[in-house]
Amino acid sequence: MLFFSFFKTLVDKEVIVELKNEVSLKGTLHSVDQYLNIKLNNVEIVDEQKYPYLGCLKNCFIRGSTVRYIQLPAADVDTDVLQDATRKEHQVNKK
Amino acid sequence: MSVSSVIEQPLDLIRASLDERVLIKMKADRELRGTLHAYDQHLNMVLGNVEETINEIVVNDNTNEQTVKTTKRKIGMLFLRGDGVILVSPPLRTK
Amino acid sequence: MSKRTPGDFLKSVVGRPVVVKLNSGVEYRGILTCLDGFMNIALEQTEEYINGIRVSSFGDAFVRGNNGLFAAFFGVNYFISILHSTGKVKKSIMLRQHTKECQY
Repeated sequence: MLFFSFFKTLVDKEVIVELKNEVSLKGTLHSVDQYLNIKLNNVEIVDEQKYPYLGCLKNCFIRGSTVRYIQLPAADVDTDVLQDATRKEHQVNKK
Repeated sequence: MSVSSVIEQPLDLIRASLDERVLIKMKADRELRGTLHAYDQHLNMVLGNVEETINEIVVNDNTNEQTVKTTKRKIGMLFLRGDGVILVSPPLRTK
Repeated sequence: MSKRTPGDFLKSVVGRPVVVKLNSGVEYRGILTCLDGFMNIALEQTEEYINGIRVSSFGDAFVRGNNGLFAAFFGVNYFISILHSTGKVKKSIMLRQHTKECQY
């Protein structure tokens, strides 16, 4: 649940989603669910040359499992809060 | 000298690396170095000041020679999905 | 040495030098610090071997559980690797026989 909550704080921010098939999509994070499936708005293809047919994509749903990385706006990430939340989550998951 | 006294389960090793530089080996011959800000039990992570190294094997069409092409890039803040992770190594502790 | 369940066996090798071989063929040699139910493992004094050649070393290492560890733990490689590093002749002979039994 840690990353689900984390991504909810990034809604309406611009991110770059890199998929396992090497496609990169830049867009505004519209919403996210518990599986880290993602909806992006205002999509631009990062490497338009390579994937011209994706150019017509304006908004899309991305299945969480196909994601490799998501580049985040560093200014919108509070790393202290993240680390505290991670320690808490670690404690909870420890049997 | 040994860290095993503090570490009862493997994830404790990762917890001990929070806010430290870590090396992550990923599938598809990728390596990441970055500051660990968050993780969960799936090994989803958020890293800061990341340097990614990609090793690709390039085959020359004419000579059939195989060469390893190394590409590096820097990313300010990155979420990475845990299913691609092979190994996580904390910074070398001075013994 | 012969324990009933795989879990008992694994507990008995914690703190000892092991080789962990992944599906990709990469090997990690180190001292087994601990493991969990997902077969995630933590190693100390880890060295990475590719094709039998040492390519790098990490102080500590966490290896994610879904990378073909399973085969490594119960495969012949794993047994052989324990006897490499125990340094106790009696034990290694015992294990070697065990290894052969596994193999044939």
